[in-house]
Amino acid sequence: MAQQLAEHAYLVDTGLATVLSVALSVGKPLLLEGEAGVGKTECAKALAEMLGARLIRLQCYEGIDVSHALYDWNYARQMLYIRTLEAAEAATSAAVTDVFGPDFIVRRPLLEAIDNDDPRPPVLLIDEIDRADDEFEAFLLELLSDFQVTIPEIGTIRARRRPVVILTSNRTRELHDALRRRCLFHWIGYPSLEREIEIVLARIPGVPEQLAAQASAFVAGLRNEALGKAPGVAETLDWVQALCSMDEQTLEPEIVGATLGAVLKSHEDLEHIREESLSERVARAREAGARAR
Amino acid sequence: MTTRSPGELIVTRLSRFGRVLRAGGLEVGPGRIQDALLALAAVDVGSREETYWALRCTLVSRHADLETFDEAFARFCDEALIDEPSLAAGGEAEKPEQQAGEGQLPETTDQLTPDSPTPREAEDEEPEAGEAGIRWSAVERLRELDFARYTDAELQEASRLVERTARAVPLRFSRRLRTAADGPMFDKRRTLRGAMRTDGYPIERSWRRPRLVPRKLVFVVDVSGSMQPYARAMIMFMQAAVRAGRRVEAFTFGTRLTRVTRELEGRNPDRALAAAARVVRDWAGGTRIGANLEVLNDEWGRRGLTRGAVVVIVSDGWERGDIKGMVQEMKRLRRMTHTLVWVNPLAGEPGYEPLAQGMAAALPYIDHFLPGHNLNSLTALAEVLESLPSRHRHTAPTALRR
Repeated sequence: MAQQLAEHAYLVDTGLATVLSVALSVGKPLLLEGEAGVGKTECAKALAEMLGARLIRLQCYEGIDVSHALYDWNYARQMLYIRTLEAAEAATSAAVTDVFGPDFIVRRPLLEAIDNDDPRPPVLLIDEIDRADDEFEAFLLELLSDFQVTIPEIGTIRARRRPVVILTSNRTRELHDALRRRCLFHWIGYPSLEREIEIVLARIPGVPEQLAAQASAFVAGLRNEALGKAPGVAETLDWVQALCSMDEQTLEPEIVGATLGAVLKSHEDLEHIREESLSERVARAREAGARAR
Repeated sequence: MTTRSPGELIVTRLSRFGRVLRAGGLEVGPGRIQDALLALAAVDVGSREETYWALRCTLVSRHADLETFDEAFARFCDEALIDEPSLAAGGEAEKPEQQAGEGQLPETTDQLTPDSPTPREAEDEEPEAGEAGIRWSAVERLRELDFARYTDAELQEASRLVERTARAVPLRFSRRLRTAADGPMFDKRRTLRGAMRTDGYPIERSWRRPRLVPRKLVFVVDVSGSMQPYARAMIMFMQAAVRAGRRVEAFTFGTRLTRVTRELEGRNPDRALAAAARVVRDWAGGTRIGANLEVLNDEWGRRGLTRGAVVVIVSDGWERGDIKGMVQEMKRLRRMTHTLVWVNPLAGEPGYEPLAQGMAAALPYIDHFLPGHNLNSLTALAEVLESLPSRHRHTAPTALRR
């Protein structure tokens, strides 16, 4: 599993690899939690690529409801159809039932995940479920336990093959126990320094190995500081990408000072780190980077 | 012992392990055990690591439980290597440990959960007609009485009265819409459905408007020594609020910040208060308000718990730490929240001046400053919470206005 995922530039530890293979064989949704930027969403993307399946993504937000997530009617088309029938004087009762038939449905991610003609069951990513509200969570419960949905005008649609479901949460809200009970759970932590260097090398082709090691060590050092928001792997990648585009070969204090905004995203955190001498910090990161390689 | 198949052995061991986890507070039902068995079938049970991950992802469902699981797993593995009977001993060993934990309870637990009847039972013994007058004046007296002078029985009585006031929840507009007779948003779906009845002409038009939903309400209660007489009553108030509203979070602080929301849930107030007392380890200690607010901002605020929320801090403002740090954290908290309410029991005394250094420093960032020394002041707090505007705050803090 880990090897197969690595081919898609997603490096996992034994823990996540085992959990993913368990999720695939047990056929239950997997709930991924962890700090922002540790690769929860990436995990679903890599899994879809690995399985050769389509990734269907549902980004949750406050107020999301059935018409955004499952299906909606195409009102304009319904209206036009009625008008056309009228003009042709062909408005029979059968034609009216047509208006609430499959042709007039706008398919949203959840319906697409359940009802599709894909050669392989798709991977359904329900991203940041904690942002949706309780009502939506209750609706998801029904979907995740039976993998079927009911559209009053059409009937019940059952998944022919269950999609692989990954849910992610940033813990801005405590999820309901009933939802947790239906899912497998995994907590993704920050990777070790060695692993993070590997991730940088795999994700950014052509990055100097020395730079990757030093930057990773620098970010790992930041995570030990009392910061408002510790940088995630996503920040490391952004930063190294930025350094690469500037043709840097090693970490230099001046460049670090100029590009630190790619890693730390709040004024207080930047101030806090700049208080201490950057060159010392860079020197430490160079040492740690050299050791890790 | 009769010989058993390896399969049976795994099932027995797993259900024992489940019991150990349940004793540790995890929610492990038969469904979970079944999932765990399926998961074990999918991995190599000979490998301790794979077994660990398979069990962890099926039996644990929240980050906070990981530590308990890891401990239990380590112990379970070690014991599994020795022999069967010791496994059972492992399961039993949990109990004495728990009792030891209960032995360390602060004495305040007794005060929180007196042996007198629960409010529900007390309600059954409603006064007879003749007693009503006397009872009424007793209630009046209780309303004015300072919490510090309460006896345990009076506190019990007060918990019933608190119940009603604690239902007050601030509201906000949701992104969700509800059907309305008139409203700013056109409801295409309903209008078109309605048009079916009138030959496809949308004569009856339908409208929608944003729904009002409870705004997040976060209580942060000081349980340090100087607040002791009031903390009991405030925790009672919090418990009633947690039970009444769906989006209420409760924290206590003294030397450290403790989240007690989960402990305060449940229908039985006495049990909830006892559970809260068990997790709060710093009863009647010192106060470091700034440091605790920093933890609140870092651990919970950053994840969005206080964002757009009404935060109620209950403290006398005696800061034993660094005032500058406290001001810094008050600023951060204010930026994040919708309304910042400070309840200070001392403010109930006639001629009170915010002399405590921490209190004076915090004052400019507070939207509502209220006393909290008796039941009437809690009613006033409830009224403030209910009357908060459902829109965003536009006024700058008093410090900036000057």
